[in-house]
Amino acid sequence: MENFTNEPIDISALPRYEAVNLNALQSKYWNVILFNIVATFLIIGVVLAVIIYFVEEIHSIAWLFGLVYILFLGFTFLLCRISFKKRGFAFREHDVIYRSGILATNTMIIPYNRVQHVALHEGFISRYFDLAKVEIFTAGGDSSDVSIPGIKKEQAEDIKQLLMGKIQKQL
Amino acid sequence: MIKSEFSTPQRQSKTGLLVLFANSLFEFMKAMWIVLIIFFLKGKATDIFWGIGIFVLVLLGFGVYSYLKYRTFTFYIDEEQNEFIVQHGILNKTKTVVQLHKIQQVNLKQNIIHRIVDVYQVNIDSAGSEEKEAVINAVSKEVAMALKSKLLDNERVEVIDNSVEVEREIEDKPFLKIDLISLLKVGITSNYAKSIGLLLTFFFTIYENLNHAGADELIDGSKVEDFIANYTAVYSVLVAILLLFTVIFIVNIVRTLVKYYGFKIAKQKGSLIMSYGLIATQSTILKPEKVQIVKITRNFFQKKLKILEISIKQTISDETKKDKAIIEIPGCNEIERDEILQLIFNEIPEKGEKLKPNFRKLLFSIFILIVLPLTAYLTIGNWFVNSIFEYKSIAVFYTVFIFIGLLFGFKNNSLHINDKHVIMQSGAWDIDNEIIKIEKIQAITTSQLFWHKSLNIGSLTIHTAGGNVNFQLGNFKKINQYVNLWLYQIEKKDSNWN
Repeated sequence: MENFTNEPIDISALPRYEAVNLNALQSKYWNVILFNIVATFLIIGVVLAVIIYFVEEIHSIAWLFGLVYILFLGFTFLLCRISFKKRGFAFREHDVIYRSGILATNTMIIPYNRVQHVALHEGFISRYFDLAKVEIFTAGGDSSDVSIPGIKKEQAEDIKQLLMGKIQKQL
Repeated sequence: MIKSEFSTPQRQSKTGLLVLFANSLFEFMKAMWIVLIIFFLKGKATDIFWGIGIFVLVLLGFGVYSYLKYRTFTFYIDEEQNEFIVQHGILNKTKTVVQLHKIQQVNLKQNIIHRIVDVYQVNIDSAGSEEKEAVINAVSKEVAMALKSKLLDNERVEVIDNSVEVEREIEDKPFLKIDLISLLKVGITSNYAKSIGLLLTFFFTIYENLNHAGADELIDGSKVEDFIANYTAVYSVLVAILLLFTVIFIVNIVRTLVKYYGFKIAKQKGSLIMSYGLIATQSTILKPEKVQIVKITRNFFQKKLKILEISIKQTISDETKKDKAIIEIPGCNEIERDEILQLIFNEIPEKGEKLKPNFRKLLFSIFILIVLPLTAYLTIGNWFVNSIFEYKSIAVFYTVFIFIGLLFGFKNNSLHINDKHVIMQSGAWDIDNEIIKIEKIQAITTSQLFWHKSLNIGSLTIHTAGGNVNFQLGNFKKINQYVNLWLYQIEKKDSNWN
C-alpha cells in the first residue's frame, strides 16, 4: 500500500491510438485479392455468356451486358484496391489496433486483457503466397472480433505466440 | 444423520391434483384454441351438442391423465448418497437425481391456480446444465418450506462461512415488489407497437383459419361498409381510431398483467432473483458481476406517472439462452431504480460530461427517411403510376410524423461520460439511457467518413459482452481523447474481465 498514489491523469499525455503508425498488409496479399476477383468474375462471366447464348431475345443487347460487366469489374477492382491500401494494423504493448474501410476509416482497438483466444487461418491461395490470417476473439461476439489478413506466415506465428503469452500472463 | 420426513418416496399434495389438471387443460387449450373458436362460430346447434359431449370426454381424459401423473410422481432424499431424487412418468419412467451439494437454489412459486388451492411449486436449480433442474409441481406450504430448508440445510453443513447463512435467513423478504397499480401504469404507457403486432397476428391467424374452414360468409365486409355509408367519413375514422386505441390499451394491460403479475425481486447470495407471472411463474437470476448494459427507459407519460422501466443485459455465454440474458423490470419508481443501480454498480452512475451529435446527423436521417422516400413517391406518381397520388394524405402524415420523430430523436441523443461509466441517451418517444461500466468494455471501434475529417466529426461504437452501443457524428477529437482514456483505464489493470 505504500506505493499507492492517486494523482490526476493528464489526459493529453496518454498514448494516442490515432497517432500510431500502422503496418500495411503484405503486398503479396494483393495477389490473393486479385485472384479472388478474377475467379468470381470468371464464374459470373461464364454464367452470363451461357444465358446470352441460349436466350435469343437478348442477343441484340448483349453489348449492354458486356458494358455493365466491365464497369462492374472495374468498380470492384477499384474498391478492393482502396480497401487494401487502407487496411493496417499495429500491436501495441497493451492492445491491438486494426484499421479498415473504404469510404469510412474504421479503427478497432482490442485490449489484450479482453482477448479470449487467438487463431491462425491459412486460406488455400494465401498458403501459396506464404501468408496467414490472425483472428482475435473477445467475449463481445462477432462484432468485436478482428481478423487481420495478409501477414507473413512466420510473423503471424510470432503474433499468435505473443498474444497467447499476454493472455496467459493475465490469467 | 437423522432420518427426516423426506427419506421415503412421497407424492405431491392431494389438492395439487387440481393444479396438474388445470395445467394440462391449459396446455390443451393453448394448442387447440383456434379449432375451438372456429367450431363455436361455425357449428350448428346439433354440432355444439356433440361438441359439448366431446369436451366432457376430453375433460374426463385429462382428469384420468392427471391422476395417473399424480400417482406416479414421487420425490425423496437419499440420505446415504446425499442425493435428491424425483421419479415420474406414466409409461416411460424418468428419474432425476440431483446431488445435494450441487443445489444452488430452491425457489417456491405460485401461479394463480396454486394460489387458489394454496399449494406451492418447488423448483430446484443445480449447478450445471439447464436440464438438471427438478420441479415438483404442487405441494402444501409446510412440505415446501420443510423441503426447502432441508435441501439448503444440507449445503449449509458444508459451507462454513457464516455470512452466507445470515444472508439466506433474509432471502425470502423481497426487497422490491411491483404492485398492481404500477403494472396498470406500465400497461397503459408502453409497448404499443408490440401489442399492435400481437393483435395483427391474432386476427390474421383467425382469418386464415376461418378461410381454410370455408367460413367466408362470417367475414362480412358489408356491415362495415353500411356503417361507413351511414355516417360521415371523419366520424367513422374517429370511431375506428378510438376503438383501436381501446383494444390496444386492453391488450396491453392484460399482457402486462399476465406476464409480470406479482413481480418481486429478492436477494440471495449477492445475486438478485426475480419471479413474476400470473399463469406460468418465471424466475431469473441476476448476478451483478455479469451485468454488461443497464438500460433505463421512460417516455413522456411514464415521466408524468412517475414510473420507468429497466432492462438489464447480462453476458451472453450461450447462444441458446440469449433471451434469458435480458432481464426486464417493468414499472419501478425512481427510488427503486436507485436501489437497483446501487446493487449493480455499487453507486448511482452520474451523467458526467455531455457530448452531442453534430447537426449533420439530423440532416442525414432526414435525407434517408424523408427526402429519398418522397422523391421516389413523386417520381413514381409522376412518371409511372398516377393513381398513387390518391394517397397524398398518407404521404403528408408520414412526413410530418417522421420529421417530428427525428427531431426529438436528435434532441434526446447524447453521450455522457464520468470516471467509471458511459451513459448513452437516445430515442424519440421512449427515451433510453444505456449505462456501461468502463471496465466491461471488450473493444472499441471509431469510424470516420473521409469527408468528415476536416469537420472533425466521427462515430464511436463500444462493444461489450452484452451488445454494442453506438454514438454517431460527435466531436471526433473528444471521442478519441476518451477512447485513449478508457483504453488506459482498462489496460492498466492486470485483471481479466469477468
